[in-house]
Amino acid sequence: MSAIRVLVGVLGMDQHEVGAVGIAKMLRDEGMEVIYTGCFNTPQTIMQAAVEEDADVIGISAHSWEYLYYAPELLDLLRQNDLDIPVIIGGSVITAEDGAKMLDMGVAAVFGSGSVVTDMIDTVRNLVASDATS
Amino acid sequence: MKENSTRSGIKLAPVYGPSDANGDYAKHFGDPGEYPFTRGTRSYSGQGWIQRELSGEGDARRSNEQFKYLMGLGQTGLDVIGDSPTMSLMDPDHPLAKYTVGTQGVSLCRHEDYRELLDDIPLDQMSISSSGPSMFTVASLYLLAKERGVSPGSLRGSVIEWPFYSEHCSYAYKMPFDLHLRMSCDVIEFCSKEMPRYHGFLEDTYFFSEAGLNAVEEASLGFVEIRHIVRTLLERGLDIDSFAPRIAILTNCSMDFYEEIAKIRAMRRIFARMMKEEFGAKDPRSQAVNIAVHTSGLSLTTEQPANNIVRGAVQTVALGLAGVSALEISTFDEGYRTPSKEAHLVGLRTQQVIDLETNINSVQDPFGGSWFMESLTDEVEAKILDMVNDIESRGDPAELVSSGYFKQFFHGTMGRYHHQVHDGEVVKVGMNVHQMPADQDTLLRDISEEKIEPLFDRVANIKAYREGRDQQRLLDTFQRLHDVVQTDENMLTAVLECTKAGATMGEVAGILRQAWGTPYDPYGYLESPLGGDR
Repeated sequence: MSAIRVLVGVLGMDQHEVGAVGIAKMLRDEGMEVIYTGCFNTPQTIMQAAVEEDADVIGISAHSWEYLYYAPELLDLLRQNDLDIPVIIGGSVITAEDGAKMLDMGVAAVFGSGSVVTDMIDTVRNLVASDATS
Repeated sequence: MKENSTRSGIKLAPVYGPSDANGDYAKHFGDPGEYPFTRGTRSYSGQGWIQRELSGEGDARRSNEQFKYLMGLGQTGLDVIGDSPTMSLMDPDHPLAKYTVGTQGVSLCRHEDYRELLDDIPLDQMSISSSGPSMFTVASLYLLAKERGVSPGSLRGSVIEWPFYSEHCSYAYKMPFDLHLRMSCDVIEFCSKEMPRYHGFLEDTYFFSEAGLNAVEEASLGFVEIRHIVRTLLERGLDIDSFAPRIAILTNCSMDFYEEIAKIRAMRRIFARMMKEEFGAKDPRSQAVNIAVHTSGLSLTTEQPANNIVRGAVQTVALGLAGVSALEISTFDEGYRTPSKEAHLVGLRTQQVIDLETNINSVQDPFGGSWFMESLTDEVEAKILDMVNDIESRGDPAELVSSGYFKQFFHGTMGRYHHQVHDGEVVKVGMNVHQMPADQDTLLRDISEEKIEPLFDRVANIKAYREGRDQQRLLDTFQRLHDVVQTDENMLTAVLECTKAGATMGEVAGILRQAWGTPYDPYGYLESPLGGDR
């Protein structure tokens, strides 16, 4: 079986990369392939990179409230293009309430700052596995 | 028995004695106010530090109200931060900025904004520390002083220079390193002549150390940058004593209590020796560096936000003992936002309680002569000097920036910090020990989670503002700036003309990039008013 491919990126003017870089490293340590797109992305550039790189999962790191606007835009864009790539959002600024809103909207999983790494890794694996069987 | 060590990896013995502290007193320590300034840059004043809290949100008007609120609470200096677009030389109507205008700092892009920002603030009495692009901050402060009949020579405060690390740590200018360095040097030279009381060169080690660096790494990278900028200024033919008195350092303060105190003492000594022995500074003010501190946001947690108040207090005590010139506490809501009104109150009151109720400022350098602290200061100093030498042995620091050495370094420290927290090596109460179910973790949560809405109106307002200007005058000043970049002339004079003509920061930054042969808009959305390559 080929390695799981995860795209990790940050949106808009959010330039706090500590979380994104940390998660990218941990996913790599788990044998996944990480496509790290860094900062200054828009929903459009994220989608494009995900398609070009054949990503199984999109991971967005958020340390700014910009994700509240960009996440729904990204989901819409993926739907419009018939792309069934699960989107995960992680970051310390995500409150419980906002996290619930994101899940309602169609985000596959949300992780706050205290999230356990093994949970995140399991979630990525499960999302890809269920995608393969569906 | 468990072996203890500092965050920088210095082993801590359970007890220290006379054999641990060495050194000739006059040569190695000196009284406060005397070379090498280990014990402080001034002889005893009992004044304590300038007390301020990070401020700036929404537009300039709203931020001005924030300043007045803080001054009303007894704040003794201003500390202003721009929102993410402002910090990255981007105007609020840039397509990438739209969801973040005014949310993580104040939105500033034209001289009018500075007029509103500092309305009713006594420019010649209040120390104004700005975390914003230095060339534009200084241009507007200078013009504003002139407009108000205040001598620019009476302005106090500081502005950050960060050509080495801003690109990789939160505040990208998207400019070639050489251009950014020239902007910094032009600002420092201009300030040394026109605004001699103002620190045109604040070495900010805070923001990049938030990429998970330890105290030794933080100070080392800071000295690499200071040394390179100083060398560049000397190559211009400037006298070291013409600008060195106005170099200051803004450091971080983590929870590693003793090491942070040792770091500040060691940095004062290293700076003094570097200026005197390496650069030949004769003026004692060139050798004595003012150190201001912003307590670590990274040390705080979104879990149990009230714990952050305790962290801020402990860090403030450490800094009071180390002796600093100014400080800001990262407030309890830091994990989510720039400080709320409530957090400002708590932060400032924390500083005031420690300052006024504890006698902390009655004795200078109270740790001086402590076997342990002197030994730790020596070890921290030695490690910093080793690391500075190690970095410089890898090549010209300017080339290390361009080749991505530091970017890689920061990615390494970010990943390492992530591991340290998840593995519990860096303990955080409420996050990786003594956790609490989310439904019980409610103390101060509502305040911490309150959001600042983006200023959608400002985007439209700035677009309209652009249309109302004298376009020909603007184009002339842009062309003049474009030409000046090709010469050795200080660019600030031409930037002042653009600013007076109503130019925005984003436009001026774009012209500078274009004149340097790089795209006007590095993100590829905007056209240059001068035409040509995008």
